[in-house]
Amino acid sequence: MEREEAIRKLQESVGEENVLFSDVDLTLYGYDASLEKGRADAVVLPGSTDQVSLVVRLAYQEGIPIIARGSGTNLSGGTVPVRGGIVLHFSRMNKILEVDIPNRTVTVEPGVITLDLQTMLLKQGFLYAPDPASQKVSTLGGNVGENSGGPHCLKYGVTTNHVLGAEVVLYDGTVTWIGGKNPDNPGYDLMGLIVGSEGTLAIATKIILRIIRAPEAIKTMLAIYDSIEDASNTVSAIIAEGIVPATLEMMDHVVMEAVEKSVQAGYPLDAAAVLIIELDGLKDGLDRQAAKVLEICKRHNVREIQLARDEAERARLWAGRKGAFGAVTRLRPCYMVCDGTVPRTKLPEVLNQVMEVGKKYGLLIGNVFHAGDGNLHPLILFDERDEAEKNTAMKAASEILKICADAGGTISGEHGIGIEKLREMNFIFTEDDLETMRKIKRAMDPKDVLNPGKVIPN
Amino acid sequence: MNLVKLRKFTYEEVTRCNRCGFCLPSCPIYLVKGIESATPRGRNAITRAVIEGRLQWSGEVEKSIFSCLGCGACTANCFPAIKTRDIVFRDRECLVSEGIYPKIADRLAQYILEEGNISNENNEERAEWQELIKGIPEHYFEKEKADVIYFVGCVASFFPLAQKIPASMAMVMEKAGVDFTVLGGQEWCCGYPLIGAGMPDKMDALIKHNVEVVERIGATKVVFTCPSCYHTWKHFYPSGAEYLSASEFLVELLREGNLELKPLDVKVTYHDPCDLGRNTGVYEPPRKVLSSIPGVELVEMEKNRQLTTCCGGGGNLEMVEPELSGKVADLKIAEIQATGADVVVSSCQQCLRTIAGRARRRKIPLIVKDITELLAEAMV
Repeated sequence: MEREEAIRKLQESVGEENVLFSDVDLTLYGYDASLEKGRADAVVLPGSTDQVSLVVRLAYQEGIPIIARGSGTNLSGGTVPVRGGIVLHFSRMNKILEVDIPNRTVTVEPGVITLDLQTMLLKQGFLYAPDPASQKVSTLGGNVGENSGGPHCLKYGVTTNHVLGAEVVLYDGTVTWIGGKNPDNPGYDLMGLIVGSEGTLAIATKIILRIIRAPEAIKTMLAIYDSIEDASNTVSAIIAEGIVPATLEMMDHVVMEAVEKSVQAGYPLDAAAVLIIELDGLKDGLDRQAAKVLEICKRHNVREIQLARDEAERARLWAGRKGAFGAVTRLRPCYMVCDGTVPRTKLPEVLNQVMEVGKKYGLLIGNVFHAGDGNLHPLILFDERDEAEKNTAMKAASEILKICADAGGTISGEHGIGIEKLREMNFIFTEDDLETMRKIKRAMDPKDVLNPGKVIPN
Repeated sequence: MNLVKLRKFTYEEVTRCNRCGFCLPSCPIYLVKGIESATPRGRNAITRAVIEGRLQWSGEVEKSIFSCLGCGACTANCFPAIKTRDIVFRDRECLVSEGIYPKIADRLAQYILEEGNISNENNEERAEWQELIKGIPEHYFEKEKADVIYFVGCVASFFPLAQKIPASMAMVMEKAGVDFTVLGGQEWCCGYPLIGAGMPDKMDALIKHNVEVVERIGATKVVFTCPSCYHTWKHFYPSGAEYLSASEFLVELLREGNLELKPLDVKVTYHDPCDLGRNTGVYEPPRKVLSSIPGVELVEMEKNRQLTTCCGGGGNLEMVEPELSGKVADLKIAEIQATGADVVVSSCQQCLRTIAGRARRRKIPLIVKDITELLAEAMV
């Protein structure tokens, strides 16, 4: 089918004003928050499941790639149209369809902003727990696609632990439901398969999420260290003690400097590292738990611990943490984030190796990460306009992921594989593993139209 | 402005945009349109692509770049604080050089340069608002010498809905015994609409004239009820006088004890105009004025001060795309209604017109007042 003909059909399916194909639009839908670039052939803003189904059916019939996305904040090129095709932008499907308090679920359209749902729920004393740093702009559909994590996922689990079911559009436009409000479903865990599949297996058009009661009490502490090693050891010691804080986040001095230039979060600029430790739960016992944490911190040479005195102070501490990625471009124009994960006890050793990589290539590296999960986010800083420096940064990033894999960890904690980490998949998977994944992909998308070229290397 | 200059002024800045998207939920245009070309991130990317030769100036680029309110909310929510507003205004200059811009801007420029105002009115009629004042002094507030100049601005001079602002401001200053003058036909547009239109090079004659008038009158202070005039003077006008927004000046008058106020039993919320708050940094003086009126209870909107949502009237959008401007006003009206306040107070004639105008068209009962108006009501 000619391009004009395809566009006309899309316009018939969703309305003329909801199909974009100007040079500007195709350029702007060619990026996400990673360094990868592509170019779409058309952009569609669907308004309903039926419209998504029509568009997917057309794509299937014509063999056109179809890429679903929300706010385009993902960090590994997952929504970049590398083979052209139709980008489905879910900004219009942004309604919270149902809040079912007795069953502890909400049903949402994929374009709902994560924080909008959380703010609405909190007013009723409930919580949707996964809190990616980009929550104020990320969409729940995107969170499902990437299986997003966040600081509080240490205690509460990542996105997949909170998705009960979804209405999905399959490769040929068929609409079906997977899972539902039941806490458990028989048969294969297809929902688990789809969450984190980066839009390569199906496209979610309605999502049922688990909600929980908001904690009765919260204590947020900033633990300040003169050495990264002491901070890292504190992390594994806290977990080893059997305490599961709501968060255990670490930031080093490079990142703190950038954040303080952006907002006055109150981070100490002369420290080597800080931990943001948050405890939550029932009021009773929280003080005892805090005392225990304090004691562990002291045992590992903490310089000082500050307790957030009120909600405003807590919000300030978190604002700094959540904007950390963006903030580092105050130091250098671009960054590449390595989302490797390692067993917690390996943190001090791996962090040292990461800094060695930086030294070896002469690159500034900042660290801000979910220490409790052992999920590193070394931010390699450089200028992408300098082709040589960009290549060096990519080489360094790959080496860092190798270090994580060799330490018994993995190459992505939460940002997905997309296209950025395709080359590194063989660090952790054998050719047999990858072939099994390809079989699943072929079974669920025989014509390879759903976000082709992502996740599994050819 | 051409590509070479654009590159010099903006290339480093746009390169630091790493497309994190934190600007998206703060951009009223994106919230209304839901497409990437309506995002600050997208506007940065367009600028970078044009500089790098991956995109050409075009009607599509024009649509994105001229649909920005210039409200600055994106920068307030951006960790590297990328100044997309400044970038967009420079893009507009380039688009004007290329001949790709909303042609209504030509008419605007013509009115400003030929008549001295945005409304194509005889500039001598700037003082129409004086008719609203009963028992106006014989000098009609137009003196040859004065300590303070009150610069009224085009919108408050020529738009009936906003004329109550200069009427209130003049009455308050008169009662407080301020030695002030207005400029009547000698007041020329400050030039701000030309910045928004991508034609700042046409401002020179306006600046020169207005500064000469200030010097002739020998004023030590120029006071503005229009935040955009105030912002423009602060950034572009070289005179020896001190420039003050109305609320900063009113706070001085209140401090000196020159105003006697009676209680007003009313619950208000305050809308921060972008050019006064975010773009010039005046947040507290208007709140001080409100708290000085006995009986006034202030409830803040969820997004206030540097996080405030634009009324929809910024960046010449109302002229270029009135319906889009109106839809942004709907977002603002919803935020105002959520406070449960009886009255929304602002300190900008454009915010007042945009919010009140939209509410009236949508038949939403909403009382919108300028801060000078509320203060005038409270005067004994």
